[in-house]
Amino acid sequence: MDDLRRSRLTVFFRPLLTVPHLIWLYLWGAVAGIAVFINWFVALIIGRPAKPLQSFIAAYLRYALTVGAYFLYIANPFPGFTGEPGSYPVELELPIEPQKQSRWKTFFRIVLVYPALLVATLSIYPVMFLFFPVIGFAWWATMITGRIPRGFRDLGANALRYMGQIYAYSYLITDTYPCSSPYVGMALGSPVVTVPAAMEAPTAPEAPEAPTET
Amino acid sequence: MTKGSRRLPGLLVFGALAGGWSYAAYRLWQTSVPGDLKLPPVDISAIVGASELHRAQHFSLVLDLFGLAGLLLPLVVLAFYAKWGHRFMGESAAGPIGTGMLLAMLGIAILWMAMLPSNLGQLWWLRRYGIVKTGYAEMIVGTWSALGAEFLGICLTILIVMGFARLMGDRWWLAGAPVFVGIALLVTFVQPYMLNLQPVEGHAALVQAEKRLAKKEGLGNIPLKEENVGSLTTAPNAEAMGLGPSRRIGLWSTILDGRFSEPELEVVVAHELAHHKHNDLWKMIGWYALFVFPIAYLIARVTRRRGGMAVPLAVPLFLFAWVGLSTAILPINNAFSRRLEAEADWTALQATNDPQAAKALFVSFVRTTNQDPNPPFWDPILFGSHPTEAQRIGMVEAWQARSGG
Repeated sequence: MDDLRRSRLTVFFRPLLTVPHLIWLYLWGAVAGIAVFINWFVALIIGRPAKPLQSFIAAYLRYALTVGAYFLYIANPFPGFTGEPGSYPVELELPIEPQKQSRWKTFFRIVLVYPALLVATLSIYPVMFLFFPVIGFAWWATMITGRIPRGFRDLGANALRYMGQIYAYSYLITDTYPCSSPYVGMALGSPVVTVPAAMEAPTAPEAPEAPTET
Repeated sequence: MTKGSRRLPGLLVFGALAGGWSYAAYRLWQTSVPGDLKLPPVDISAIVGASELHRAQHFSLVLDLFGLAGLLLPLVVLAFYAKWGHRFMGESAAGPIGTGMLLAMLGIAILWMAMLPSNLGQLWWLRRYGIVKTGYAEMIVGTWSALGAEFLGICLTILIVMGFARLMGDRWWLAGAPVFVGIALLVTFVQPYMLNLQPVEGHAALVQAEKRLAKKEGLGNIPLKEENVGSLTTAPNAEAMGLGPSRRIGLWSTILDGRFSEPELEVVVAHELAHHKHNDLWKMIGWYALFVFPIAYLIARVTRRRGGMAVPLAVPLFLFAWVGLSTAILPINNAFSRRLEAEADWTALQATNDPQAAKALFVSFVRTTNQDPNPPFWDPILFGSHPTEAQRIGMVEAWQARSGG
């Protein structure tokens, strides 16, 4: 359970402590990009991603999310470098087995993801860039109180969740379309961010049905 | 088989290694400066002026105090960190190596915070004498940001050390030390490409002189470049850099700003060419290699009490041992560096055949850097990578006496 406490020492140096992860993320991302490209052809041909590629890309996405969570103080501990499931308090849950995916949706994936990216660009990116950089409110609040405000933590976690869904969709891990609602991610069965405690706190309305995709 | 005879092969191997080490150190220590050269006493006050000398002594004394703080504070801070740093292990969800990286980064971060007052004081002193132009906030933000590069470096070090320790146990140093030497080689080779070096403009005669001197010294084409540091400092400097095809001579823009005459600049260029002529950068790497093996071995021995370098628990002690041993060998490293610099001065005198320009250059260095030309005996031991200006002027006079000039 996340008690929202954050180490002032690591928060002060957080952007720098993340540097080795960012370098590793970049290197891994370059290879993951090639894997996604190959996987796209595989998914078009056999109707689902190849399992080794799926595992590799999923590990990369899990890792990317933990790095984001660490960088934005959404979680406190220093993450590992392997993207292993169950290794970090904030985690992107992804399907272990490759799912059967519509070839049409796979073929047009790069176009289909645009609306979700647009939503992210208009809402999540500005929030992340305004509130979370070093000089942002969350940094000051955390440095002064030694705790990250719950609202900031949840806001950041939701932003990460949505981004995780977008990337999982773009990278062919799932063909469930990203959902920007802070309440319905889990219910959709699409990739979700598991955040301890506070994410369950708001009285979530009943999860709507998963959007039917065409 | 007796206990003594069982130990014999080990002792023989150790003896052979120690002999090889000593021979290599002896060869690297040799220079072309005549062994019987005696530097005459120099009345530095008469040369640079009493008030200039007093100012330089005052400046250098305070700077030395900050320098001493810079040597001792890390030892104190890292000694505490070696004892209590393992408490930060709870801040990590990474595996052993990742946790080791975090502990190493936090150790350096804490050191940065502890050193900040001393570094700010040093900056105040340098600004007071007009040597450095950097602002206080700029320095804090700059060094904070530069920690990112330090963090990367220490993470790479921990990856190498812990990676090999997890494979080879306490013998990690046998594989780790050659990797560090390889990294030193790589860094020396690529350094000229990492700096923003520009062609030297407005000094056509100097560029021609450099080509002439390089030819005279039997060196190929070694480009003469300018490093723009004018916004940071007023201190003049030049450096020989690179290996093989990456060899360069970098002149700081502050040495080309008109305070030094063309003959003085020719001496500077000849000095830097001498470093390339004598393969001094290779020698520095060789010297580093001589020490990195025993240091890595000692670290492996010391950290065994914390379970060895395979576990993150040993990382805070590793930092302390590393910095402590590096500080311990500082005097011998400085002495080695001073020998190479003295040889470069000697070679430059022979190449330029202009002792007046060399003498004027060293006097100008006193005036432009405010360094004490004749510091107390302990100053060069701890901080002196170059001979003192008094020694350099003395060498010029000794060279003149030998050449009948």
